[in-house]
Amino acid sequence: MLNDSPNLNRAFQALADPVRRGMLARLSRGPASVSQLAEPFSISLPAVLQHLKALEESGLVRSEKKGRVRTVRLEPETLSAAESWIAERRSEWEAQLDRFENYLQSLKNSGEKNG
Amino acid sequence: MADGNDLVLERTLDAPVELVWEAYTDPEHMKRWFAPQPYEITEMELDLRPGGIFRMRMVGPDGFDTGHGAPGCVLEVIEGQKLVWTSALGPGFRPNNMGVGCEAFPFTAVVTFSDAGDGKTAYKAVALHKDEADRNTHANMGFQDGWGTVARQLEEYARNLSVRA
Repeated sequence: MLNDSPNLNRAFQALADPVRRGMLARLSRGPASVSQLAEPFSISLPAVLQHLKALEESGLVRSEKKGRVRTVRLEPETLSAAESWIAERRSEWEAQLDRFENYLQSLKNSGEKNG
Repeated sequence: MADGNDLVLERTLDAPVELVWEAYTDPEHMKRWFAPQPYEITEMELDLRPGGIFRMRMVGPDGFDTGHGAPGCVLEVIEGQKLVWTSALGPGFRPNNMGVGCEAFPFTAVVTFSDAGDGKTAYKAVALHKDEADRNTHANMGFQDGWGTVARQLEEYARNLSVRA
């Protein structure tokens, strides 16, 4: 059940850095320019671009240049894949209890029909 | 109470405690809900007395098959209220060899049921482990432990990837 695809590896790798998570948090509110993204961090522009490159390669964001402004936006699909992976890890025992509950419900229903 | 070596799962189930107990402990019932699809329980034994066997066989896609597996041992039964069993021992309290996968570490499950009124049942499962490492291995297999563990796992997973890269 472990999804060990290269894309997922890159996504989690990208998420392992606090600056990149900060950028993603900003982008979850909407697209932003590179300078807007860099603003909260006291790091050099090359460092910012390096982080952006990692995010783009992970598929978590994509960017587009219009004139002099590069606009970065979130790629929700990649984030969803990472989210699903976590949810699966969290939920097997919960899911088993869900199945148990559903089964109880089916027993109750068939009991009512017979009774 | 649970300490750092334990995992706890609690829920109120919408069924009377007699029905919950039956569905939870009767092997024919258990086969119907125990495994996640497309996995399937093909054999299930649960002998409800101290020293009794607790064994299942799970099969799935790509030739997945647990075979007969190492059977666990029932430790305590209070009908309708409590079931305690362990993977550390086999039937008749004989110690088990620890194997692979689900059998890689010993744990004891303490499951309690009580009438929550209104035809509902309070369910609580506690998995006891010998140390935090075993607890984490079990947690990684999917035991619900809230968002904190998930976040920690994610962090560890990500850190391991960074090291590898």
